[in-house]
Amino acid sequence: MSTTRTQPAQAGGPAAGRPGGGPPAPGRAPVPRRSNLRNRLLRFDMRYMPYVMIAPFFLLFAAFGVFPLIFNAVVAFRHWRLDDPDLTGWAGMENFSRLIADEDFWNALYNTLGIFVLSTVPQLLIALVVAALLNRHLRGKTWWRVGILLPYVTPLTASTMVFSTIVSRDYGVANWVLGLLGIGGGDNPIDWRADKLHSWIAIATMVNWKWIGYNALLYLAAMQSIPRDVYEASAIDGAGPNRQLWQITVPMIRPVLLFTIVVSTIGGLQLFTEPMLFDLNSQSATGGPAGEWQTIAQLIYKVGWKDLNLGYAAAMAMALFVIVVVVTGINTLLTNRIGGGRR
Amino acid sequence: MRRSLPRWLRVAAVGLAATTMVAACSGKSTSNSGGGDEQVTLKIAFWGDFGLTDLKAKYEAAHPNVKIDLNTGEYNAQHEDLQKKLIAGSGAPDIAAIDEGFIVQFRSQADKFVNLLDKGAGSYESKYLPWKWKNSMSPDGKAQIGLGTDVGGLAMCYRSDLFKEAGLPTDRDQVSALWPTWDKFIEVGQQYTAKTNKKFIDAASNMFNPILTQQPVGFYDESEQLQMDGGPKVAFDYSVKAVEAGLSANLASFQADWDKGFLGNKFAVLACPAWMLGHIKDTAPSTEGKWDIAAVPGGGGNWGGSWLTIPKQGKNVDEAYKLLEWLVQPEQQIEIFKTVGNLPSQPALYTDPAITDFKNPFFSDAPVGQIFPKMAEGLQPQYLGKKAGPTRVAVENVLTRVQNGSLKPDAAWAEAVKEAQKAANS
Repeated sequence: MSTTRTQPAQAGGPAAGRPGGGPPAPGRAPVPRRSNLRNRLLRFDMRYMPYVMIAPFFLLFAAFGVFPLIFNAVVAFRHWRLDDPDLTGWAGMENFSRLIADEDFWNALYNTLGIFVLSTVPQLLIALVVAALLNRHLRGKTWWRVGILLPYVTPLTASTMVFSTIVSRDYGVANWVLGLLGIGGGDNPIDWRADKLHSWIAIATMVNWKWIGYNALLYLAAMQSIPRDVYEASAIDGAGPNRQLWQITVPMIRPVLLFTIVVSTIGGLQLFTEPMLFDLNSQSATGGPAGEWQTIAQLIYKVGWKDLNLGYAAAMAMALFVIVVVVTGINTLLTNRIGGGRR
Repeated sequence: MRRSLPRWLRVAAVGLAATTMVAACSGKSTSNSGGGDEQVTLKIAFWGDFGLTDLKAKYEAAHPNVKIDLNTGEYNAQHEDLQKKLIAGSGAPDIAAIDEGFIVQFRSQADKFVNLLDKGAGSYESKYLPWKWKNSMSPDGKAQIGLGTDVGGLAMCYRSDLFKEAGLPTDRDQVSALWPTWDKFIEVGQQYTAKTNKKFIDAASNMFNPILTQQPVGFYDESEQLQMDGGPKVAFDYSVKAVEAGLSANLASFQADWDKGFLGNKFAVLACPAWMLGHIKDTAPSTEGKWDIAAVPGGGGNWGGSWLTIPKQGKNVDEAYKLLEWLVQPEQQIEIFKTVGNLPSQPALYTDPAITDFKNPFFSDAPVGQIFPKMAEGLQPQYLGKKAGPTRVAVENVLTRVQNGSLKPDAAWAEAVKEAQKAANS
């Protein structure tokens, strides 16, 4: 009410002072008004504009980050089934105690950690070596550097489907090549989907293929900021390339190392698309006939959208959140200790 | 002192409000629901091949205001998607196909579907196989959520060219006589495998399912209790026996390698409900004339069969019902039978010469119009529980593990019971 009443008076004020906005004002009367407005705008600009500018992130984060998190936590303590809409109500700790006793969950956790180790460790080590190679004087530098990023650009689903065909039991290229090397072979092909180890290797390969180039580029960027004279000095002291890599390069790119480890930990523990599409019947989301490679993210999908038990799935998602935090924490601690960091 | 808003912010606020109002008004004026000749798009969701491609063009030509949007997907995914959309309250297709494996789950949510009895579908009751009509009724018997399209029936498809190579008879009557029982069937398979060094069946699960449908009780009894020791045990034991005899090519059904297996002669027989004929034809067109159809061992059973339903949330319920009604008319049902093999669920058609005289050219002119109706008429349908779908997936997974050698056959049954219980309690 009050704003509407004051509106005309105030709206008229500045407008009258505008150049060409009316008859030229005699005397000095409009001038302080103008500067007044300008002052106010300036003050607004200085004081509040930064908040306005950064607000979109926080608003979006609140809507798509915090709210789902809180909502998920609430659902985790409730009964909520999609095939039985009438069954709602507080479940207390029931979903969580079921989780502790659920061998599927522990199996999925085991698989997730197994695939995580098989993918993250080689991935980062190979990326480091690749970056060290790219950091040398090469012919066609840019070509190599762009080339190494190509797997990252390929859509995940597309590359996973290709890999899935490559490791096909009866028609796969992988078995053909291994057969040439005397492993498996036509009569006794490796069934990549029949046991944990083979399926883990297949999935870890897909993950590695995609992320090695990405990590290598990050390492390369960090390596380029290391002064050349450090290497020259060490070379004079007789350090070979191998020693230079481990005793100069790695310690000096430690922040980036830490970043890649945290990012790949989070990504690795949430692995979903690769195991999902690796399944012959990906719709079942079981991760193999006995859950050989079912990851936690996949199990959450199955419980939520196949078994239609949203409450239980939410509890699993909470558990995954805790696991990610714990594992990331451990990794950060470990990384801080390696590579000559602060002890 | 009153703190006033800066001018630009006020202008922006007024502008925003004005835009919103204009948008709201224009929205009101353009949306015009319920008109008679208005253009409507009807979305039909199904899986596999319902033989609708030609019919769509025909219906659209006769009804210029209707556009039909065929949306085919994976079997489980389509049902799960429908369930989600029903709960969400929007997004469901105008016509949703539902398979017998899921009908129990959906008919108990009859309030989310259009009661077809209100639309006058009651007149169709006498035309349908009684059990087919009953299976899609709501539990209280007051609502009919769907009109039946096809029923499964059972037969055994076999590759006469591969049988010939193995020195087995190729004539369909002689082949039928080879396997009156599943034990005999396994023996024939052993002969075939010994002679050709090739696998006989595609997957243990495709032996398990037909045998299970022949049993009086399936996974669940009518009180929704899991009954593993009845039908499932019989079917499971035969399937494991076939795997132990080395007959299975271990190909996951309806997946890429299975499809390639059709072309690579990886197996010689395949249990064939009527709807499977369309799938074989679509998957391996180059095998035309090499397939033939014989009787299934162990007598009648029904595997599969669907209904077309109209979710209540749709905007064009009336137009959808018109289309649904048209699709179940004899003329269209016969056309579907001829193009993809799906057997109608209206027994009057079983004596229609258009069906009885029909021989499927793809399957060496097998008299499919004689084979399948006979199966469907004498059939005692089995009750399928709410969780029949997931339970079947769980048991099929155990069979896959026996096939790929990661599970010992003698430990398999205990594992199957465990997994089935898990699925029942999921």
